Amino acid sequence: MSKLRTLFHPIIIFIGVQVAWIILMGVWIYWYLKNSQNFDDLAKRFNPGFLTDDFNWIILLEGCFLMLVILAGVYLIFVYWNKQARLNQLQSNFVSSVSHELKSPLASIQLYLETLKYQEVSQKETRDFVETMLVDTERLSGLIDNIMEASKSDPKSMQFQFEPVEVKPFLQEIMAHFGRQFEDRGFKVKLDVEENPVLQMDKKSMRMVFNNLVGNALRYSPPGSRLDVQIRRKKKYCDIVFSDAGMGLDKKDLKKIFRKFYRVQNYETQNIEGAGIGLYISREIVKNHKGKIQVGSPGVGKGCDFTVSLPLNLENKKSVKSLVTQLFS
Amino acid sequence: MKTQETKAKKILLVEDEKHLAKGLKFNLEREGYEVSLAEDGVTALQRLNEIDFDLLILDLMLPKMGGLEVARKIRDTHARFPILILTAKSTESDRELGLETGADDYLTKPFHLPELLLRVKGILRRWEWYKTPLHDQEVFRFGKMWINFATGKAKGASGELLLTNKEALIMKLLISKKGEAVSRDELLEKVWGYEPGTETRTVDNFIARLRKYFEKKPQKPERIVTVREKGYQFNP
Repeated sequence: MSKLRTLFHPIIIFIGVQVAWIILMGVWIYWYLKNSQNFDDLAKRFNPGFLTDDFNWIILLEGCFLMLVILAGVYLIFVYWNKQARLNQLQSNFVSSVSHELKSPLASIQLYLETLKYQEVSQKETRDFVETMLVDTERLSGLIDNIMEASKSDPKSMQFQFEPVEVKPFLQEIMAHFGRQFEDRGFKVKLDVEENPVLQMDKKSMRMVFNNLVGNALRYSPPGSRLDVQIRRKKKYCDIVFSDAGMGLDKKDLKKIFRKFYRVQNYETQNIEGAGIGLYISREIVKNHKGKIQVGSPGVGKGCDFTVSLPLNLENKKSVKSLVTQLFS
Repeated sequence: MKTQETKAKKILLVEDEKHLAKGLKFNLEREGYEVSLAEDGVTALQRLNEIDFDLLILDLMLPKMGGLEVARKIRDTHARFPILILTAKSTESDRELGLETGADDYLTKPFHLPELLLRVKGILRRWEWYKTPLHDQEVFRFGKMWINFATGKAKGASGELLLTNKEALIMKLLISKKGEAVSRDELLEKVWGYEPGTETRTVDNFIARLRKYFEKKPQKPERIVTVREKGYQFNP
C-alpha cells in the first residue's frame, strides 16, 4: 500500500514525466536522423525537389523548441502545485495548533468558573481566581488578535493609525504587563535605554510586535532565565533589541522563522505551544513601519536576540502621506 | 462534595500551565487528596521515584520531556500505575495514542470540573481494589493453570501468555467472587470505569478472548461460564 503511494508521489510522477519526454525526444531525433536519408531518397524518386534539407531542419528545431516549452510549462505547474500543497499542509497544522493554544486559557477560565460554582470559596480566594481569569482572557484576546492579523490575505491591507510615540514609556508599559509572568518564571528583566526617541507608529500593532517578542522569550527560555531589552540609535534607525538566554536558533532556521506558520521542529520545541504566526505578523507590521526585524543567534541553546529597527525620520514622510490620503478621501 | 477517605490519597499533578495547575490543586485538595505539583516531565519522573503516589494526572505538552514519553517510561517499570492524561490534544488519534501508551483515562481540555473529579475517584477506586491481594499471594492457581496478577503473566490451556491490563482486571474480579455470578454492569464499572463508548458487548468480547486462553473447549466453557440474566461466573 505504502509502496503504491510512493509511486504516485508528485515528485516521482514529475520525474517520470520528464524522463518520458526526454526519451521520446531522443527516440524521435534518432529515428529522424536514421531515416531522413531514406525519406530523401523516397521523396526524390516520387517528386524530386519536394523536400529540401533546410525545411527538414526547421521542423526538427521547431519540434525541439515546442518540447522545451512544454517541459518548462510542466515544471512551472509542478512548482506551483508543490507550493500550494506545502501551504495547505501548513494551514492544517496551523488550525490544529491554534485551536490547541486557544484551549489552554479557556480551560483555565472554565476551571475557575466551575470552582466558584461548585466549591465554597472565600472572598480572598475569589478575588485571586478572578484576577487569574482576567489574565487568561487577556491572553485569549491577544491570541485572537494574532490570528486575525495572520488571516488577512494581504498584509498591506492592514489598517494603521500612526501617531508619535515615545519609545521608552511605551516599552516600559509593555514590560510591566508581563510582570506577573516574569515573576512566575523567575525572570531577570533589564531595560537599557541609550536613546529615547519619539517614533511614528501604530500603537496597537507595535504592541503586538513587542508582545510577541517578549512572549517568545518567555516561552522559549528555561525558568530563571533573563531578558535584556535595549533601545539604541543606529544611523537613521532606532534599534530595539530583545536578548534572551533561551533555546537559541540553528543557523538554517534564522530566516525561516519569519515565514507564515513556520515552527522550528525539534525535541525541545515539540512540547511548546505555538502556531507559527507571531513572528510572521511582527515582520509584516514592522515592514509597514518602513522598518526591519532581524534575528541573530550564536547557536542552539545559546539564546538569541531580535532587533526591531524603526526609522527615526518617518515623521515627515508619514505626515505628507496622511495629508495626501486626507485630500483624496 | 465531601471527603470520605480516611487516609489521604497522593496525587502527582504534572502541568506546566501555572493557572491550570493552581486551580486543579485547589480543587483536588478540597476533595481531600494530597497534591504535589511538577512542571515538567523530568521532575515528574524524579518525584515518582521518591514518593509513593496513588495517581498521576499528566499533561502531554510539557517542557523537557513530553507527557507521552513520561507515560511510556512509567509503563516500562510499573505496568499498572494509574495515569490520567489531561490535555488539549483532542483528536481521535491523539486519544488513541494516549490510551495505547498505557493511560487509564484520557480527558481533554477544556473539561468539566465534576467530571474530572469523578474520573479521578473512579481510577483511584479501581486501583485500590486492584491493589488488594487475593489470598495474600499474587499468583492464583487453578487446575494446571495460573495467573500472576503482579506481572500479568499467565499459563493458559495452551501455554504461557501475557494478559493485558483489562484482561487481568476481569479475571481478578471473577476470581475474587468465584462461585457467584458477576454482572456485566459490575464488570463495566470496575474494569472500564467511566470510559465512554463502552457497551456490554465489549465485556462479552473480552470474555470470549479469556475463554480462548483458559478453556480447553472455548465453545463449551467450564471455568468461565455464562449465568443467564445475571452475568459471568468463575468456577475454579
